[in-house]
Amino acid sequence: MTVLFAIAIVLAAVSSLGVVLSRQTIYSALSLVLTVGMLAVLFLLLNAQFLFAVQLIIYAGAVMVLFIFIVALLSPDAEDRPTLDLRAVIGILGVVVVTGLVFVAARNGITYNTNGFHAVAVGGASNPYHTFSFPPDAVNNAGNVQTVAGQLFTNYLLPFEITSMLLLVAAIGAVYLTRRSSQ
Amino acid sequence: MLNLNLFPYLLGLSAFLFTVGAMGVLIRRNPIVVFMCIELMLNAANLALVAYGRFLNSEEGQIFAFMVIVVAAAEVVVGLALITQIFRLGRELDVDDLSEMKE
Repeated sequence: MTVLFAIAIVLAAVSSLGVVLSRQTIYSALSLVLTVGMLAVLFLLLNAQFLFAVQLIIYAGAVMVLFIFIVALLSPDAEDRPTLDLRAVIGILGVVVVTGLVFVAARNGITYNTNGFHAVAVGGASNPYHTFSFPPDAVNNAGNVQTVAGQLFTNYLLPFEITSMLLLVAAIGAVYLTRRSSQ
Repeated sequence: MLNLNLFPYLLGLSAFLFTVGAMGVLIRRNPIVVFMCIELMLNAANLALVAYGRFLNSEEGQIFAFMVIVVAAAEVVVGLALITQIFRLGRELDVDDLSEMKE
C-alpha cells in the first residue's frame, strides 16, 4: 500500500514537471495524461472509488482527448526551452517554498499532534449536516459510492443541479464561440 | 486503517502540483499549455480535498472534488473554443501577444 502511494506520488510529481518543461505541446498533453492517471490511482488508494472512475472517464477520457484533438488540429510549433528569466526564478522559488511550507505544516500540525486531529464520525449526532445516517466506519469500508451518493442527492442536491446548468451554459457558449460568422 | 504519516506527503504533492502549474502559467507562452497547467492546479486542489476527506472520515471532500471536476470540464470546453477561434482569426498562439481583447 505504502509502496503504491510512493510510486504514484513520485510519478505524478515527475510527470507534472514534464507538462511544464516539454517543448512540444503534445508531450505536455501526454505528461498531463500520466499525472491525471496517477492522481486517479491516489484517489483509489484513498478509498474514493467514485472519483477514481470519474477522474479516468472525464479527465483521462474526455478532457485529455479534447486537448490532444486541439493540439493535433492547431499543430502549434515547438516552443523554445523556457529561459531562466525573472518569471522562471519566481516560479521555481514558489514551488520550493510553498511545497516545503505545506509539507512541514502538515507534518508538524497534523501527524505528530493526534490530539488535535479530530475525526467527525459520519452520521454522528454531533454533526447536524449528516441526516443521511451511516455507521461511523462506512466511509472507510469498501464501496463508499453509496455514502457519496447519499450526500450528493440529499444535502448537496442544489449544487449538483447548478452544475448541470453550468454544463449547459458551457456547451451553449462553446457552440456560440466556434460558429462561423455569416457575414 | 490508513497510515496517518502519509498525509503530509499527499498535501506536499498537492502543493507541488499546484505551484508547478502556477509556474507553468507564468513561464509558458502557448495558451494550450497554459490551460493544461490550469488543469494541473485544479487536480492539485482535488487531491487535497480527497486527502482531507479521507483523513477526516468524511465524504464531503469527494463531493467538492466532483464539483471541481465538473467546473474544470466546463472551463476546458469554453477555453479551447476560444483558442480555436483565436487561431481561426489568424493570430499567433502566444499569450504574451494576446494581451488586448480587441480583434
